[in-house]
Amino acid sequence: MGRYIAKRCLYIIVVFILLTFLLFSLYRLMPANRAYTDAKAEIQGLKNSIPAAERETKFDELYLKYQRLYGTDTDNTVILYLRWVGVYPFYDGKCNGIFQGNFGHSYEYNAPVIQVIGPCLRNSMLIGLVSEIFILAITIPLGIKCAVRRNTPFDRGVQAFSLVGFSTPSFIIYILFILLFSSILGWFPVAGMKTPGSDYQGAKKVLDTLWHISLPTICLIFSGLAYNIRITRASMLDALGLDCIRTARAKGLSQKAVIYSHAWRNALIPLVSVFVGGFFSIIGGAIFMESMFGFKGMGLLLFNSTKTADYDMIMFIQVIFVFIGLVANLVIDLCYGIVDPRVRISK
Amino acid sequence: MAKKDQKKRKSENIFRKLARWFVRVFMGLKYEEKWFPRNASAEEEDKKPDDSEFIVSPARQAFQGYLERKFAVVAFFVVVFMFLTVFIGPLFMPKYYDAYTEVTLKNLPPNLTMMSVPSELKNDIKMIDSYGPFSVGLSNAGKVYVWGCTELGASGMNVKVPAEYRDIKMAMVAAGVDHIIAIGEDGKIYGWGSDRFGQYGRSQNSIESSTIEAMPEELYENGVDLAHVKKLTCGYQATAILMDDGRIYIWGNKQTYSNMENFIGKEDIADVDFTLNYVVGITNKRNGIYTGTRGLYDMARTKIGGKTQKMFEFLNGRKIEEITATTASICLLLDDGTIALTGDFPADSIEVPDLAVSSLPEGAKAPGLEEDERFVDIKAGNYHFTALTNHGNVYSFGGDHYYQAEAPILDNVAKIYTGAFQSYAVDANGDYIDAWGFKGFPLGSDDVGANIFERIIAGGRITMTVGAVAVIIEILIGVSLGCISGYYGGWVDILIMRIAEVFSSLPTIPIMLILTSLIAQMSLTTNQRLFLIMVVLEILGWPGFANITRAQILVARESEYVTAAQAMGVKEGRIAFKHILPNIITVILVSMTLSFAAAMQTETGLSFLGFGVNYPQPSWGNMLTKASNATAAKNFWWQWVFTSGILIFVGVCINTIGDTIRDVMDPKSSSDR
Repeated sequence: MGRYIAKRCLYIIVVFILLTFLLFSLYRLMPANRAYTDAKAEIQGLKNSIPAAERETKFDELYLKYQRLYGTDTDNTVILYLRWVGVYPFYDGKCNGIFQGNFGHSYEYNAPVIQVIGPCLRNSMLIGLVSEIFILAITIPLGIKCAVRRNTPFDRGVQAFSLVGFSTPSFIIYILFILLFSSILGWFPVAGMKTPGSDYQGAKKVLDTLWHISLPTICLIFSGLAYNIRITRASMLDALGLDCIRTARAKGLSQKAVIYSHAWRNALIPLVSVFVGGFFSIIGGAIFMESMFGFKGMGLLLFNSTKTADYDMIMFIQVIFVFIGLVANLVIDLCYGIVDPRVRISK
Repeated sequence: MAKKDQKKRKSENIFRKLARWFVRVFMGLKYEEKWFPRNASAEEEDKKPDDSEFIVSPARQAFQGYLERKFAVVAFFVVVFMFLTVFIGPLFMPKYYDAYTEVTLKNLPPNLTMMSVPSELKNDIKMIDSYGPFSVGLSNAGKVYVWGCTELGASGMNVKVPAEYRDIKMAMVAAGVDHIIAIGEDGKIYGWGSDRFGQYGRSQNSIESSTIEAMPEELYENGVDLAHVKKLTCGYQATAILMDDGRIYIWGNKQTYSNMENFIGKEDIADVDFTLNYVVGITNKRNGIYTGTRGLYDMARTKIGGKTQKMFEFLNGRKIEEITATTASICLLLDDGTIALTGDFPADSIEVPDLAVSSLPEGAKAPGLEEDERFVDIKAGNYHFTALTNHGNVYSFGGDHYYQAEAPILDNVAKIYTGAFQSYAVDANGDYIDAWGFKGFPLGSDDVGANIFERIIAGGRITMTVGAVAVIIEILIGVSLGCISGYYGGWVDILIMRIAEVFSSLPTIPIMLILTSLIAQMSLTTNQRLFLIMVVLEILGWPGFANITRAQILVARESEYVTAAQAMGVKEGRIAFKHILPNIITVILVSMTLSFAAAMQTETGLSFLGFGVNYPQPSWGNMLTKASNATAAKNFWWQWVFTSGILIFVGVCINTIGDTIRDVMDPKSSSDR
């Protein structure tokens, strides 16, 4: 087992380096030149203090200075990448990359990327975790029930709901919920994380925040229901059709034992990747929800960064996503081992 | 035997009979005997076929199974219908273009009554006027009627005649874009609708604001001497009353009409009208257009596409009788019965009818004026002009986006009136003859005044094309890689599956967001952009297909027919693509349908966020962007309800098709489900 994990970790590192390099070179395509804009800004500031004739040479000087500072004084993508990682020295002979703890500087927020991402990640994970737990708590029993009682009116009703829900883009669900609960009923605020202009402390602050994030949470839960019900029901149906279920029934096991210990264990195998993947996708944030509610999470951060072409920020978020994706794959595989004894043996 | 034969013939249904006759006539007896055997022996007929004799191929069985599910069949036809609509539909909208905007028609609810004159008014028309989505009419009895979009989306205003004004006899009436001004027979001036920009009344705001010219106090208090009123006309958010001694009262939004001040206090005005941005008039000298600003509208021409001349040279001593203005162009009626044009016309304009071209055949589409035919009246809509001649003929010309400049051939027209996008012809008794122009938006209009119905069709074309092409690329890549990986195995398999794993582990929407923003930074044509978006949609989707194909191939590879093919020495590539692929096609079909729905959803999502397809190109996603604002979503429900409704509906249908195919394909499930 340990060897297997070690092997996978090594694999993750290799793929991670390859993918980040790929993304890094993709980003080189973006027409963003921080050194140029900074040099331009400085020359604008100096406009009156230097004569026009010298301006050009001064600009070139400044441009070179900024290029060296940001490490963009070369066109070689490999060197740029290595500098970004922190294993190739800058012009001043020092390495200043990820290994040195420099994850980049957000242009838009004028702060280190890591500082900006921190609270967003926390917000996204909090709301995502809560809603994911709710989603599973609702969909698993419902999916099992539908599969067991298939073709009853109950099942048909839930199926119709999940078909419509599955075909509805999540943002339409949010529009409807905002309209119903905020505009018409007025139970929840339309957007934001706290009451504008308020400065609550202590318990009141917590309550205010809860009141503001309850509608986003409800929306997130609701939009996740349909897909999960569908796959739970489908895989439970497949499991109920297995020969071992017939055997279990023939043995005279109770319905409960057949469904929850025999069928459900089998149904869980294909579901593992979905459930575990769902938990990991929390980190990516819910872009639609966050951008509609103005919820300060990873999704909104990425959304705003792409809009404003905040280069370092996107790059770092990207790196997080790639890393999480690879780790999620490993965890899913390990979970298969937990759920399915056959996989465990074959390892 | 013969009797029996006859009996059998009787039981033949009509279609079979027709088909048999057809075969006999065109193909001869030989085929008739062969395809419609009439001497089939009775025993054979009566014998019930044994089940084992029927050989139904799996595909046929699945097809029959599919036909049994009515909902799925309906869904299939709906999807086909939608495809046809969005691909053929644009052919029926020749006037549609993506970047169309119309400021006077924005945020309008679904309404098709913009041209329907109320029946009580039809026999008694005194005047009709309009500047925007609604029209106002006055009967000779002095009653005011309002039709069209009376509920104004932009300001939430209702322009229906207020109850307290209903019994007052009116003498004149005119409409602006969100207000109506009427002069009662008592000379009092009544206004209703929006007064936010001082359109009527003397509210505190209108008096204090520097961008508003309030209604003159004497007018507000005492009204006007009705007998001497020459003209009442309304502009965008402004009104002018012209007296026959040349005095003019003018008030309203000065931000729209910056040259309004030049008219205040003028006492030699002969005629006045409003374009979208300027007040235009003629002074008593009648030798040019007066705007109070130098250089505006001092070039004139006789035809829309004609040569321009300096106004002074063009007039050459002739006097201007009347001035009438659309939003950007002005038409002058001269004292010799001809017209002069100035300003800008839309690109799709209909040309002015030729003067004195009597050689045209009778009833020709673009009739010319006869020898002694002269214009006697000209009225302007927002883009078009409608002109009446002394022979009672009506001609329309100018902007034709809503077919408002295509006048029918009419007789006995005594008066003409124009709405913003409509024209009405009235005979000498005040009876309604005909109307042409714009009826209204069946599904409302969006925040720039474009027709939502047309945008749904044009947007559907883009959304469905993007979805379909993305899925096709996905299948091409996924299936071929899956085939290779599943069939050859070994290190190829490991490599491909590792790559697929990496791709499928990336979070879909964030990665697409980043990639589409990268695309947005490149300088590409819209179609190249669209294609790249399709590629982006596909880039994370192909691993699914590769996995499915690979799994199916692994099963198929072990089966007997492949072993047989291998034993016969068939080439490996041929086995993979010719022998195995057809067997896994059904599974691919299922995931193709489901991925199509998913790709459409992803595209709409990206476009909704402002990535993906961008305005002005419509897509079902970016048409919904405005609805993320709760107030807009509530007030302008039609701007998102129809679009999202059709999006969900098509999604449900496609998913139903996919689900049903999967159900009927699966031998395990078809028995007991």
